[in-house]
Amino acid sequence: MARTPLNSIVAQRRSKSKSYRQSYRSCLGASSRLGLTPALTARRLNTSRRAPKSHNITEKLNPEQLALLTKTEWKMSYVTPLYQFRHTQLKSYSRQLSAFIAAEKQQGLAIEVEGSESSFRVSFSVLSGMAETDEDPETVLLQIFSKPMFARQDEPQRSVWSGWLACINGNPDYLRSLPKDFICLPLFGSYGPDALTSVVQSWFQQNFDCYFGPLEINHTIMPPLQITYTINPEDAWELWSSVRKVPQEEKEGKEEEGSSIDIDEVMRFMQGLKSHFYRHFRLDLSVGTLVQVSTALGSAKCNGRIKISNSRYMITTLTLLTEGALLKMPI
Amino acid sequence: MDDLTKRLLQRLIRRMPAQMLKTTLEKWDRLTAAQQQSLDFTQPKWALIETLLTIFEENEFTVKHITELEMLHVINNPNQGMWHAFHLMDPDDTAITVELTQFKEQFKSHLRELVRHVSIKIKKHTDEAVWIRIAWGDGFSKPNHLKPTYVVHHLQTPYVFVTSLTSKQKPLLSQALTLSTRHQGIKDANLSGRKLTAIRDLLMKQYQQVFTTRYPSPLEETNQPVSNPRIEREQAGLLANRLQMACEAFGYGVLPQLQSAVYKLETKYKDDTNKTMTEREEPFRCVVKFASSNLLESIRQCASSGIASTPVTPLLSSIPIKGRNYFVIKDNGLGPS
Repeated sequence: MARTPLNSIVAQRRSKSKSYRQSYRSCLGASSRLGLTPALTARRLNTSRRAPKSHNITEKLNPEQLALLTKTEWKMSYVTPLYQFRHTQLKSYSRQLSAFIAAEKQQGLAIEVEGSESSFRVSFSVLSGMAETDEDPETVLLQIFSKPMFARQDEPQRSVWSGWLACINGNPDYLRSLPKDFICLPLFGSYGPDALTSVVQSWFQQNFDCYFGPLEINHTIMPPLQITYTINPEDAWELWSSVRKVPQEEKEGKEEEGSSIDIDEVMRFMQGLKSHFYRHFRLDLSVGTLVQVSTALGSAKCNGRIKISNSRYMITTLTLLTEGALLKMPI
Repeated sequence: MDDLTKRLLQRLIRRMPAQMLKTTLEKWDRLTAAQQQSLDFTQPKWALIETLLTIFEENEFTVKHITELEMLHVINNPNQGMWHAFHLMDPDDTAITVELTQFKEQFKSHLRELVRHVSIKIKKHTDEAVWIRIAWGDGFSKPNHLKPTYVVHHLQTPYVFVTSLTSKQKPLLSQALTLSTRHQGIKDANLSGRKLTAIRDLLMKQYQQVFTTRYPSPLEETNQPVSNPRIEREQAGLLANRLQMACEAFGYGVLPQLQSAVYKLETKYKDDTNKTMTEREEPFRCVVKFASSNLLESIRQCASSGIASTPVTPLLSSIPIKGRNYFVIKDNGLGPS
């Protein structure tokens, strides 16, 4: 996921610790705002993390919710903490947001959903079981259904937009530092017409005094030449094992519980792939921008779109993204 | 007109923009002047389809007419779909004498021997290319006109270009082609792309060629005022050198528009800093795909701007030189395919 601009490579040679921060920032589309809070930002950065753990989420979520989460490509955003958001008020929020959308429509908002004569019904619900720590607020799912004007009673409502707000393994220091009355759900995933996304966002902004920003997983520059580099999984695993600092023998069979992954291992792995590529094509991949990474777990694109293909690692993926959203937020 | 015929017409009309439909119908020249005039091409597509359906019924047009119209459309818009190149091998002594009528007859009879239900249409285009449309059926079903295969062959050349061919149909087409063109075999040319004209130009070398010279040609001198003459001269020299190397690999002119190139690499992993991987016996397996709206142009740009080191690696310059865009690379060099 890391963008590898030339300057970060150069910086790496000069000062190792500095380059981590640079590449970590650029990995999340560094904004100038981040520069204003260097201390806090630095505290929130991880240069070493535990190896991903798999979670059997199928027992916690119902199949319908799981299918929605894992079969959709989500457009990711970060959200600053919500002021006076209550998980107990979801029914009332559903009504308020429905009314808000109706009002926006009356004012001439063009929402291009099939059959413009239809009205919208909003549903807020809790996706319990996603939160990992006691400090993580429960995930909230939002769905917007379209109701045709002359629909029969038994006609099923069509879901036209979905979204969710989550905080998975959010940095406890950060969460505890928030004033009372603020709920931190920094990760916002949405799927559906952009017009509806922005209506939902502006309703949240008006009601909970929060701010949404794009969670680019990288910079969005499409180079004229696109290169897709697919590595045989076994060979990729061997290369990865060869760059690990601690030999990975003991973890055979059991989950690599407790083992940690360092950023320089990740960088050595990436460098290994790049030099193998260079040896054949004499093209330096560092010059370009990494726009997408896909593995059996899912895919992440630089424009902030993600897809989770393996539910067992959904929690781990969302933990990483929560960290990214917290890092990206201006406060 | 039965339902299937109607569907065929609807599908064909739907994929043509209104203006293109107008010119195609004019070229086709099977509608009366009055009928042609009754068509309003500013109407929405569905209304236009309704009018055309009525006209086609009036004229008692059949599947044969619709496929004729479709063929005309495909011939005039050859840069759609995915085209794959094939190479005919080992021509018989008489291969050079095969002419159009003979080829037509032979091809049809050979293919009909292999497939019971098949509909074949052959048309010669002005640029000497022979266009073949095949609708496949099998022992039990009628030819499926909704998924036809198109084949383009230039008589007296070993090149064949094919679009929409399934792996089941491939051996049948191969046999009919080798027999009717009097060759011993046919092989995949490992070249494919969305633009038929581009892959044809690349394979038949119909673009500005590169003639590699052993000695680089002298560089033109520039007479621009410079701030630091020594540095500027050196940089200008490097740039000119890179440009020249890029052009020596890919030529100076307009390049055929290829969209992609794929390399299947099974080569040893070598890295002085990684003993484990370097000592490993097995090759490192990966697939690299380059994609661009104009791939050769992009690579030439990479080389001339310094993103790719010069001289350009043989792996990349092989695309224009060998006229292919699919390679399997093993440590003993370029594999056969």
